[in-house]
Amino acid sequence: MTAIRLDGLSKSFGPADGPVLENVDLTVEQGQFVALLGASGCGKSTLLNIVAGLEEPTGGSVTVPSEGAALMFQDAALFPWLSARRNVELALELRGVPRAERRERAGELLRLVRLDHAGEKRPHELSGGMRQRVALARALAQDREVLLMDEPFSALDAITRDLLHDELLRIWRATGRTIVFITHNVGEAVRLGQRVLLMSSRPGRIVQEWDTRPWKDPDAYGFEGNAQSLDDTLGELTRTITARLREEISRHAR
Amino acid sequence: MRDDTAALQASPAVRGAHPAEDGAAARPVPAAPSAPVTAPAATAGPSSAEAELAGLDALQTERTRRTSAAEVLRTKVGPPAVALLFVLLLWQLFVAVLDPRPDVVPGPFDVARQFGALVSDGSVLGALGTSLWRGISGFLIAVAVATPLGLLVAQWQGLRNAVGPLISGLQVLPSVAWVPAAIIWFGLSDATVYFVVLMGAIPSIVNGMLAGVDQIPPQLRRAGHVLGASGWTMASRIVLPAALPGYVAGLKQGWAFSWRSLMGAELIAIGGSIGFGLGSLLEQGRTVSNMAVVMVAVLAILAVGILVELLFFNPVERRLLRGRGLLGHRS
Repeated sequence: MTAIRLDGLSKSFGPADGPVLENVDLTVEQGQFVALLGASGCGKSTLLNIVAGLEEPTGGSVTVPSEGAALMFQDAALFPWLSARRNVELALELRGVPRAERRERAGELLRLVRLDHAGEKRPHELSGGMRQRVALARALAQDREVLLMDEPFSALDAITRDLLHDELLRIWRATGRTIVFITHNVGEAVRLGQRVLLMSSRPGRIVQEWDTRPWKDPDAYGFEGNAQSLDDTLGELTRTITARLREEISRHAR
Repeated sequence: MRDDTAALQASPAVRGAHPAEDGAAARPVPAAPSAPVTAPAATAGPSSAEAELAGLDALQTERTRRTSAAEVLRTKVGPPAVALLFVLLLWQLFVAVLDPRPDVVPGPFDVARQFGALVSDGSVLGALGTSLWRGISGFLIAVAVATPLGLLVAQWQGLRNAVGPLISGLQVLPSVAWVPAAIIWFGLSDATVYFVVLMGAIPSIVNGMLAGVDQIPPQLRRAGHVLGASGWTMASRIVLPAALPGYVAGLKQGWAFSWRSLMGAELIAIGGSIGFGLGSLLEQGRTVSNMAVVMVAVLAILAVGILVELLFFNPVERRLLRGRGLLGHRS
């Protein structure tokens, strides 16, 4: 089943400026984890906003589930006047979940992100990593098939980010969501994404794609790559993609 | 939920297994540097990811410290009390050394005596009650008028463009300037006093509401939009609570303006059907050239202003800001 389908998607904000996105084709299957990688100004966020329905494309077509998509930002954007649990409950309320079920459902979601002990805390009492986990629980509370994540870990310290990568993968496996994850960090893209898509900048286009599944899930692919460890392989892939990304960036020097 | 835990507990083991087990079978293991690194992780137990995350949460969460009563006394109550005592002492010293005419510069004890006399004949408490009643009821009317007005102006950009500058301008205009107009329109009645109070308080409260709405971080509206809020739910669930700190700041300023306007009005408009307030007491002290009465009135006006702020607005505002982490726990 296809979750997201973009056909020849283009976006420009004005006739004077060049297109931000040009002829983007992308098909994401249900349950896939796609990492969208690119330097600044490649229109990653615009692409995500279009998929989320916050912006209209100027050309091409977008097919997404009619219910829309959940979206997580770089900033957790939690409501500071509500506790962690009430933040999640508000998402449930706006989705139309009856009052009686909200509390229990919010508790389950907080347990999923391992924050059931911090439900009554206000956002300012939580660390950056905890806030992003509440934001993740809130995004999951929307109960949408597609979860869009706009550099959600880029403001976190390395240790927290590292742990949250594991957490996100665990939650992705547990919930079976389709995730499109935007990042400018090659290592993050390779670690998380089943597919890593590299975007060029100005105009934004998808220039290359790598599939990490054969290494991450060798059994399913009948892959006999044990001469190298997974970490080594992914490390090599990271270096390859980084080189390609730098090539893309240096095109703009002229 | 159980499945999640199982998946998680398995995941570090799987990661460790790749180099250690599979690698050991397939290749002659040049993994000397990596072996000691992975070994402790393997012995750390099955719940290591959960423990790591919990540890990190604990390390990164600030412990909120409640200030003790003794500390509040030492830092918040002590210094102003000492300063007040010092001012009284200077005042007394000035009177004792220079010995001015007591009807021009009365000493603290003269004022205290006068205060006692005015309390015992009931005039100061009566004036205080009249003024407080007018101040508070006028302020509440202003809140009732200004709140919907502020919301309307904040949400409707066209209206905002039209009346925004006017409202800011009204805030600059001292509302006492309305007293002559009010006397012409309403005569020497309580309506005059209320009119002046409203003209003082309403622009402040509307402005506070506008500032509160303007200061809402755009990502909160965006988050609300993504979560499906729109129209009424956006206003009631996101915009209003988000604008609350600015609104309360506006209320606080609105009260200060109400009180000031009220005193101005009472000072100027005396007689007719207007009740006798603190401002009237002040004016009465001036007409009979009794400086002690004037001082009593000034101090009473000041005390009301300070007490309402200290006992009502400050706790409300601090509670609101602390709940949102906008107040350092030491400030």
